[in-house]
Amino acid sequence: MPSIEMKGIRKSYGSIKAADGLDLDVRNGEYLCLLGPTGAGKTTTLRVLAGLIKPDSGSIKFDGKDMAKVEPEDRRAVLLSQTYCLFPQLTVAENILFGPEINRETEEEKERTLSDMLDMVRLTTRADAFPRELSGGMQQRTALARALASGADTLLLDEPLRALDARLRISLRYELRSLAKALGITTVHVTHDQDEALVMADRIAVIREGKILQIGTPGEVFDYPNSPFIANFVGQSNFFVGKVAQKRESTRVSDGRFEVEARASDIEVGEEAVVGIKVGNTEIIKDQPGFFSGTVERILFEGRNLHVDIAVEDIGRFSAKVPSWRLGKIAMGDKVNVRWNWDKATVFQMPEKGLQEELKVE
Amino acid sequence: MTLISNAILSSFEIAAIVTLIDFLVGLPMAWILVRKQFRGKQLLDTMIDMPLAVPTAALGFSAAIFWAVTPASLNSPGLDLITSPMLLIILLHIVFSYPYMVRSLAAILEQIDTTYETAGQTLGASKFTAARTITLPLFRAGLVTGIILCFARSLSETGGTMIALATMANSQGFQTGPTIIGTWKPLLVSHPDLTAPLAFVSILLIIFALALLVVLKLSVMKVKLPKGKVWPKWERILSRGFVPRLKDGSATIFLVILVLIPSFFIFSYVATASPTSADWSGFWSSLAYSFVIAGVVTVIDIVLGVPLALYIARNRSTKFSATLDILVNVPLIVPTAALGYSLGVFWTGQNLIPTVDVLLIILAHVAFTYPLVVRNVAGAVEEIDPSYEETARTLGAKPIQAFRRVLYPMIKASILAGSIMAFTRSLGETGATQAVVASANTAPVYIVALISKQHAYYTAGLACIVLIVVSFLFMLSLRYVTHRTKGAN
Repeated sequence: MPSIEMKGIRKSYGSIKAADGLDLDVRNGEYLCLLGPTGAGKTTTLRVLAGLIKPDSGSIKFDGKDMAKVEPEDRRAVLLSQTYCLFPQLTVAENILFGPEINRETEEEKERTLSDMLDMVRLTTRADAFPRELSGGMQQRTALARALASGADTLLLDEPLRALDARLRISLRYELRSLAKALGITTVHVTHDQDEALVMADRIAVIREGKILQIGTPGEVFDYPNSPFIANFVGQSNFFVGKVAQKRESTRVSDGRFEVEARASDIEVGEEAVVGIKVGNTEIIKDQPGFFSGTVERILFEGRNLHVDIAVEDIGRFSAKVPSWRLGKIAMGDKVNVRWNWDKATVFQMPEKGLQEELKVE
Repeated sequence: MTLISNAILSSFEIAAIVTLIDFLVGLPMAWILVRKQFRGKQLLDTMIDMPLAVPTAALGFSAAIFWAVTPASLNSPGLDLITSPMLLIILLHIVFSYPYMVRSLAAILEQIDTTYETAGQTLGASKFTAARTITLPLFRAGLVTGIILCFARSLSETGGTMIALATMANSQGFQTGPTIIGTWKPLLVSHPDLTAPLAFVSILLIIFALALLVVLKLSVMKVKLPKGKVWPKWERILSRGFVPRLKDGSATIFLVILVLIPSFFIFSYVATASPTSADWSGFWSSLAYSFVIAGVVTVIDIVLGVPLALYIARNRSTKFSATLDILVNVPLIVPTAALGYSLGVFWTGQNLIPTVDVLLIILAHVAFTYPLVVRNVAGAVEEIDPSYEETARTLGAKPIQAFRRVLYPMIKASILAGSIMAFTRSLGETGATQAVVASANTAPVYIVALISKQHAYYTAGLACIVLIVVSFLFMLSLRYVTHRTKGAN
């Protein structure tokens, strides 16, 4: 199973830069999720890896071997598109045997591969069915079996769960990941769904405007985002803008009226800064003091939680999640205090283009 | 000179009138075919394509004896109704251009989701209003294709027109552009002074046809339909009760009376006329000759056309591909007689190839049948998501393997459809054949000669029927082959 190294990949279509100096390392046997908003360059990255797009510049190496001149069919990296692209004129078995036929395996080998693959994806009884006769989940498993049967050691998945209904999507997350991990296959999984990425990935690479912004374990990317954009894109965040007032084991940021507390940072006292705190880590309380207070303007019942929006004068809207049992104890128009544990909040430098522009999801 | 300008003018007049009529009656028929469900729909669907299988030479004879006042010696059982040659030619051209219009409109209509109209109706629009303001504007592209195909077909038809004119009692020396070429070219040997006028007619036809193509392409997409205006009361009346039924009924009656009966009237003529004996060996050899040519032409079309179609369809965004696409279609709009004449001049003038008749005819036929294959295949390839091939590549298939195992099975039907069209067009072509080689001995040219020179109507009728039957058998067997391979998958 190869490790993958992409360096300085650039690819533009006219004025649109789909990859703008993109660097990405994927480890041997790793399950990596490439997470980003629509138009961030996720699919382009995947297609460059598959060899279907030639980058304008930059290098790709599989196990240290330069891939620039290697055709897609010789990379042993299978691309699985959103729609799976099962060949409609072939049955499940024929689809799975597509790779082995091309590789000129003997009848015996083919038979063994086929029965192994059908077993693995639990489709033995549907071997003679045509793709259109299968459910979405079965199609997905067939596509996976076809990919593995071709002898590929890298899986490139382009939103593989998107076409499925919500419940199936969630159960297939575990199945897909455990299969890839069990076989030790290097996987790059593209998605715009942060929940999917958090659950499935060994590491997440967040991509935006053709660049990788941050790469790390789901915990790192979620808890220690390196930019306000990631703080908001991977799990929603609230933001407080002010100037650094004090630097010790924690950082205090003040906008002149209110002062909030967050983790330590390198930003000098007096400089403009943004404090980001995950919605789930924001607390609203009535009987104790907070950093500031606001008025409840909206309550959404989400089943397990209540999503509460609070209007804070001069600062804007803050959101919080509170357990559902508090339904009825909190009402529209209530005055509440907002606070958080400082070791959950991150301080960022003020982005050059301003906070609004930074948070924009195209 | 007036002869030439009159002929060319009538050519364009006829083509315009024919196209307009085709559109007016073709639209309801396309609607019926796509949106209605009823018993016998399959039959209707097949009936519409029937005239396409009949060589135009046979159609010309058949339609003429049905409609026109014919010489007494012919003893026709037809209507003996029409004395105006122009009207006869219009009626004839409708027969073979109508299927093109219906097919083009139906193809686009099929792709327009009915949910748009349903949405319009739930928003309070009557059926007619919804169809007029929502669906109609969406299918201009199909309209352009239909108009161009009908116009080009009518403009370039030679064989059927010549036969129809020769069959009617008094054609008053009426000529269209292509028939002038068809008549003069054989005279070229004895009257070398005809070279200049012939070239002149060809050039005029080509230039006008091309200019028209450009104007049509630009104008149809720009015409503003009054979709902002709505007349709820009147349109509601048009949506209910007898009006839609009247529309559907008249569309069907039109199909039967104006298209189907004239196409096959020849059978009743041959059944009722008194037999005359004739020498058949000439016809059989010409038929064999035609088949060989059509076969070779079709093979060349496939071998050269499929790769080009792939290129055009897969590189849509590049300027070069778009230009190629337009260039390929040029021979479709240019009248085949003019095309044949200019090709003949080109190939014989260049001395690039030995000027063997067969070779010249084949080259001429390839020129106007090639676009049929390219269009069909390119259209089908464009429908297919390129990710199928890409997935195959990442699964380890070389480009050629990806084509053969993945793409080819998906576009096989369109290659066959294109080939059938190319084959039948080549088999039935008169104008280009005559224009490129005056003394060509293909079946349609042979039939034209039978009627216009020997007045051997009965023999010509029988020959037409043989031609029809053979083309039909050929199409049926091809259809059978397509269906069987589909079943096997």
